[in-house]
Order: sequence, then structure tokens, then C-alpha cells
Amino acid sequence: MMEKKNTQGRYNLPEEVLFCKKCVISNQRPRITFDENGVCSACNFAEYKKSKVDWGQREKELVELLDKHRRNDGSYDVIVPCSGGKDAAYIAHELKHKYNMNPLTVTWAPHIYTEIGFQNLHNMIRVGDLANILSTPPGVTHKKLTKLSFEVLGDPFQPFIYGQYNFPLKAAVQYKVPLIMYGENGEVEYGGDMKNAFKPTRDYKGDQAKHYFSNLLPEDFLKYGLNENDILPYMPPSDEELDSLSTEIHFYGYYKKWVPQENFYYCVENTGFKPNPVRNEGTYSKYASLDDQLDGFHYYLSYIKFGLGRCTSDAAHEVRDGHITREEAVALVKKFDGEFPIKYFHTFLEYCGITEEYFNQVIDSWRSNHLWEKDNNGDWKLKNSL
Amino acid sequence: MSSNRKVAIIDYGIGNLYSVKKACEYVGLDSIITSNKIDILNCGAMILPGVGAFGNAMNNIQEKDLIESIQQFAKSGRYIMGVCLGMQLLMEYSEEFGKQNGLSLIKGGCKKFNFNENVKVPQINWNKIYSPNQYEIFSEESPLSKISQGTYMYFVHSFYVEPLEKNNILSITSYDNFEYCSSICKDNIFGFQFHPEKSGKNGLVLYDNFKNLIKK
Amino acid sequence: MSLRIIPRIDIKGPNVVKGINLEGLRVLGKPSDFAKYYYENGADELLYMDVVASLYERNSLQNIIEETASDVFIPITVGGGIRNLNDINTVLRSGADKVLINTAAIKNPEFIREAANNFGSSTIVISIEVIKQQNNNYLCFTDNGREFTGINAIDWVQKIQDLGAGEIVLTSVDREGTGNGFDDELIKSICAKLSIPLIIHGGAGSSEHVLNTAKEFPQIDGFGIASMFHYHFLKEYDIINKNFDEGNIDFIKKGLHPKGISPTHINSLKSYLYNNKIDVRLF
Repeated sequence: MMEKKNTQGRYNLPEEVLFCKKCVISNQRPRITFDENGVCSACNFAEYKKSKVDWGQREKELVELLDKHRRNDGSYDVIVPCSGGKDAAYIAHELKHKYNMNPLTVTWAPHIYTEIGFQNLHNMIRVGDLANILSTPPGVTHKKLTKLSFEVLGDPFQPFIYGQYNFPLKAAVQYKVPLIMYGENGEVEYGGDMKNAFKPTRDYKGDQAKHYFSNLLPEDFLKYGLNENDILPYMPPSDEELDSLSTEIHFYGYYKKWVPQENFYYCVENTGFKPNPVRNEGTYSKYASLDDQLDGFHYYLSYIKFGLGRCTSDAAHEVRDGHITREEAVALVKKFDGEFPIKYFHTFLEYCGITEEYFNQVIDSWRSNHLWEKDNNGDWKLKNSL
Repeated sequence: MSSNRKVAIIDYGIGNLYSVKKACEYVGLDSIITSNKIDILNCGAMILPGVGAFGNAMNNIQEKDLIESIQQFAKSGRYIMGVCLGMQLLMEYSEEFGKQNGLSLIKGGCKKFNFNENVKVPQINWNKIYSPNQYEIFSEESPLSKISQGTYMYFVHSFYVEPLEKNNILSITSYDNFEYCSSICKDNIFGFQFHPEKSGKNGLVLYDNFKNLIKK
Repeated sequence: MSLRIIPRIDIKGPNVVKGINLEGLRVLGKPSDFAKYYYENGADELLYMDVVASLYERNSLQNIIEETASDVFIPITVGGGIRNLNDINTVLRSGADKVLINTAAIKNPEFIREAANNFGSSTIVISIEVIKQQNNNYLCFTDNGREFTGINAIDWVQKIQDLGAGEIVLTSVDREGTGNGFDDELIKSICAKLSIPLIIHGGAGSSEHVLNTAKEFPQIDGFGIASMFHYHFLKEYDIINKNFDEGNIDFIKKGLHPKGISPTHINSLKSYLYNNKIDVRLF
């Protein structure tokens, strides 16, 4: 029997589970806050986006920013971190074709590309007319890190997340492009630390660890048998290098009202994007997060650790964007949340070099008692559901 | 009783009664959806709708004990309009699944379309109606009054009626070059193979005409 | 035989929605407004599709059907979440003439026979949502293009006919909403097996698309068209003064339309077809 992790302590999760009155997210999402009416910060932010923001003004600010950085000599003038999915494709395409920038999309490879993901990346390049750099770290180390983070952090995605944040910084330094344009500020849009809610940027010094790396940095893996050279691809450039470039990380979602579904439509029209032919496992949607065969396990572990699966994520933001009602979201969550990602299960086991038994042990070690209990059949059940 | 201008839409379990009622409403014709004998006898006119199988329909009508009521109603001289299957029921028989008896208000029977496999059956289609006699227009004394020759109406059927007497044929239609009877008439009885309540504005003209006939 | 031009109106809750590849919930307006407009401008039939009924496991079209059937006097076909005889009855009693069934039929093919026996073949229309695979096979999907079934479209078409369905609506999920034209290969393989009426849906971007496909396949009985008509109607639709309790109308407020779509008036399409010797009911 594997030792139980202290999920609740590690993520500072409240003992009592509460669901947002407006959407379907719960207070178990790390760093999210609820107001006195039981409404989550993400929903309040969505309200703010709808009614208080002057988007005309925000666009002016964008144009000013872009005017400052635009280069007309053919060299790249903005880095757009990208997976080939709808968000970055939308940003890069609009920056190029509407605002006359010269974006370089930079992709940190998924663990294993899905067919549709790879096709969308290439369509982005060929149909969207966008330049791309795809960076893939050495595969064996990547697998090792994946397996380790699966057990140590309860998220096999960590090595992907490192690169997703640090590789664009490396590319910025390498190509001498100070402007990096991300999509939305996830903390602010989906419920987390609201500290950057009202500004367009985030600081490359300091926020990463807490917001994106769950307080587990690449260097922390040195104690698990990896060496300095192994983890170098996952590291950011030095602060000095970034400072001397005057690097700035901006969120497109500050300048444009961020509606992921609209990004989907835009990309179908402009970058040859195709949705998944079937719904993604664990949810009802076909247009988001299609690139990685191992995707499902990141979401599944979120379900185990926080009681919040992929469907909850999708449904929550669709409620905030007005596409579905809370009632509809609840029905969807009840139907799909927590669905086991069976399609690539054996791929995942093979990739990590683990057995099914080990997999189950790790999963169970992350189940916090404050969320899970066994029912009469001996099956695990969430204590609290919508 | 004869001052009652309400039309009884017979409910025997099949047919799009709602649309028939709405069409009546649209032209200002008061109507009631009913299978109650008393209600029916109190009405000034009758519409017999229907969709689906002849045998099934006759069984339902029999079960509701309405065969006699309908026949009496016809004898009383009040107007009856049969729509689609409802029209076919007015005939003596249908050849669907052997020979089945109808209400026998008009002589003749119903036959199945007999085409080669390239022609689709049932006919689900907008098709044109014409007077059986060339150069004639539709009688002013019929619900087809003022409707032009070659007007499109909406058809859904696999069987067609073959009245024995030529003067019972009110309109004809062609499907894959096969000409057949698409409306029937006999004194106070009318029948339409197509669905006037689904044939747009021209279909509503038909309902309006029916209303005016009743008013007289 | 005159070709039927059938506006297809996808519905979620109280709103008309329009996705691409059967994904996305962009709101375009109110169903009855669209229905009335198309009725008054030459539509031969209307097709109402509740795109979330199977997904949300609910039925919510009754009121919309009743409202529409009060002043729209052409045939209305209703689909989405039709699971049993009771559902069919409810829909027909509300004013619909035909029902469109997909998910329930694939889950239990005998349901087609049962339904046809009860309500008449011509009332039962089977919807096939098809996605082209890598090996060029066409497979059927359910739940608004979401669930894999592994069923080959051509085999299924044969079965549907044998079970007594009255008509088929064939949707190319790959083309749907894109305006890239119809999938002629798909149509070709289906037409060969067909003895009941066939309505083609998915991909119409311009009048030329419709004409070319109609000419190539005279066995087609009708076309289901959405984007091309909707984006034309939207030009005169007063969206600002409509009340939307739910749904995201950001896109339509901008007054744009997707690139691949040529907004076309339904009667313009019909005249164009007629002038090119396709038999259609002109208004």
C-alpha cells in the first residue's frame, strides 16, 4: 500500500465542499475564492468582463503595445506560445492578419501528439500562414519526469507545463523578441489568484512556481535521480537574460474579451482547425485540448485530487461565457465528469513504464478523505456532488 | 342546428389535428377537435384528417363507434372534408393489406402506386393540381375556388383514390407521368389527397373557401 | 419531382444556434422568427433540430413547435431527443408532421419499425450524422456528432429502409457549417442504395453548391440548408431589440458571417435552380 499523500494540505483545500451558485466549480479548485453570495471569483470576473470593461479602450491599448514592438524587416516581433489548438492559432492569426505583426508560434511538444492535434498544428501553419517552432525534449527523460510527477505531484503533465511556461521565454531570448503573448490569464478566468486581474501582464519572476507549477520546480526533481543536464530543457532562461531583453508577458485575454468557443469558430474559418470527431473523454466538448494522448490523465487526476474533472472545467467556463445555463452544466457534469480516459490508458501505462496496479495505487494515494468515501459496493464515491 | 358554423375535426387517434385546427383558426373558422358523437352531430361541418395506414384508421374509427355518425352526417347534407388518409377513408375500400372497407361515401377504392424501383414511394413532394378537364378552372362551389391551375400543394402518400364516377374527380395530379385523382367531390363531400394545412398560403385559401361554403 | 428546399433550424433551449462540425453554440436568434420568415419566403418544409436534447437528456421543443405551427403552414419535421413512441406522439400533437430520429434508432433499430407501424412510415425520418474516416469509410455518430458507434453509413442506410423508415436526412458532419460544399462522394455511395426519399444536409455555402450537387444527383429529393439562409436573414433581423435570457450573442451583434458562407435569400436560390432547369416550387 502506497502512502497517502496529503492532498488537502498540499493544496490548502477547505474542509467543507461548496459549489459556486452560478457555475459548477467548487471551492476545491486551488486558490479560488468565493464571495459572500457563494459566487466564485471566476464568475465575478466574467460579470466584470461583460459589463465593466471598455473593450474599445482595451483594443487601443493593444494597438499601442503592438505599434511599439512591430518590426517591418521580416524578423519576428511577438512570441505566441502554442499547442496548435484553437487559442494560440486565433491569437497568432489575428496578430498577423489584422494587426500586421510577425508572430512566431512556439510549441512545446505534447507527450504524444494525437492525430487531430498534429493535423491542427499543421493546418495552423499551412492554412493560417503562421511560422512555428516545435521543441521536443529528449524522450526518455521526459517519460521519467512524467512518471515521477504522476506519483510525486499527482499530475503527469508537469513536464509539459514546465516547457509550456519556460520554453517561450527561451525562444524570446534566442530570437531576441521581448514580447510574449499568451491567451487568457488562467488564474483570473478560471478561478485562482486574482492579483493580475486588472493588468495585462504577468511577472516572469516569482509567480510561476505557485500559479503554474504547484510549488514543484524542475530543480526539485534533482532529488529523484535526475541531474542538472537532464532538467536544463525544462528550465527558464536566467532572470538577467530576460531583464536585459526587457521581456514582457502579456495576456491577449486582457485586450480582447476571451471566449474560447469563439476562438474555435475563428480557427475553423481561418486556420483550418478541425474539432475532434468524437467528444473528448471526460467531457462533452470537441473543440478544446485535443493535442495530447495523455491529456485525459491530467484531467482525471484533477478529478481525484479536487473532485473536479474535465467536464466541470469545460462546463464552468461555458456557463460564464453564456453558452449554457447552470442547469445544463449540472446535467453535463453528472453525465460525464470523472469518466475514465480508457482510450489511451495502455498508452499511458506503457509511456510511464508502470503497471495498472501501480497506477491504481498512485491514484488512490491522492484521494483525500475529505472528498472521497467508499460506497456499499466498495467503490469510491465523491462525498459531495452537485 | 344549421346555424352552427363550427367544424368538427374528428379525433380518432391519428393525424396532425393541431395543424388542421390552426388552419381553421387562421381563416376564422371555429372548430373543435373531438371524437364525441354529440359534439359532432352539433357541428355544422366536419373535417376528417388522417395519416398512416387505412386499416388502422378504420379500426380506430370503429372502436370510437363513429362510422355511423360520419355516414349520418354525410346524409344530413352538411359539408365534410377529408384530408389525405381522411379522404381515402371516404371511399368504399382500400387495397392496402388485402381489401379493407372504408366509409363508402364515394364509389371506388384506393390503390397503391405501382412504379418501378427508381420512383420513390411514398410521394413526399410538392406537386401541382389541375382540373380534370383541360381549360376548365376549379368550380366556385368547391374549396378549390380561385386556386389557379398548376398550383403546388403538399403531398405525402403511397396510395391514391380511383373514384368510379368521373364527376367525382375534382382535381388531378401527375407523379412520374402517372396521372391520378388528387381531390374528390360529391355534393357536400370533398376530399383532398394533399394537406391543405401544410400547403402554405394556397392551402389556406382552400380552408377559407371551405369556411365560406359552410357559411352559406 | 420538385426538389424541396428545407431550411434547417438548430435549436438549444429558446434559441437558434449555429455550430460548425456540430460543435459550438453561437446564438443567432429566436426559432419562430426564423421559421416565419422562411415560411413567408418560399420554404418547402422546415426542419427543427434540438441539438442538445440527447446530450442533456431532455426534450424542450414542445412550446416552440406549438408556436410555430400556429402561423406556419408548411410541413415541420422535428428532431433531437426523440427516444420513444410517447416522444413522437407529443411532438406530432404539438403540430409537427414528421420526426427525425438518430441516436434512439442506432441504439435500438427495431424502434424504427415500431415507430413506422404506429405513426406511418412517412412520419418517420431517420437522421444520419456521418464523419469520414482515414480509410475513407463513412461512419455514423450520435448525440450531435459526439459519440462513436463504429457503424458504417452505407450498411445503416440499407437497414433503415428495411425497417420501414419514410425518409433519410444525411448530414456530413465534416462539411456542416463550413460552407465548403457538399460531400459528393458520400452522396454517391448513399444514393446507390436508396429507395426512399433523401434529404442532403451539411456544407451548402453558395447557390452553386446546391445546383451542382442537385444536377449530379437527381435522386436527391431535398436539401437541408442552414448557414446560407440564416446569415442572410440576419441582415434584416433586429437582434438588438430581442430579449435573450440565455445564450451568447457576441458574434451576431457584430453583424458578421463566416467566410465560407454566401448569405442567400431562399427565393434567390430557388430562382437560380429553376433557371438552371431544376424543378422547384417557385414562390
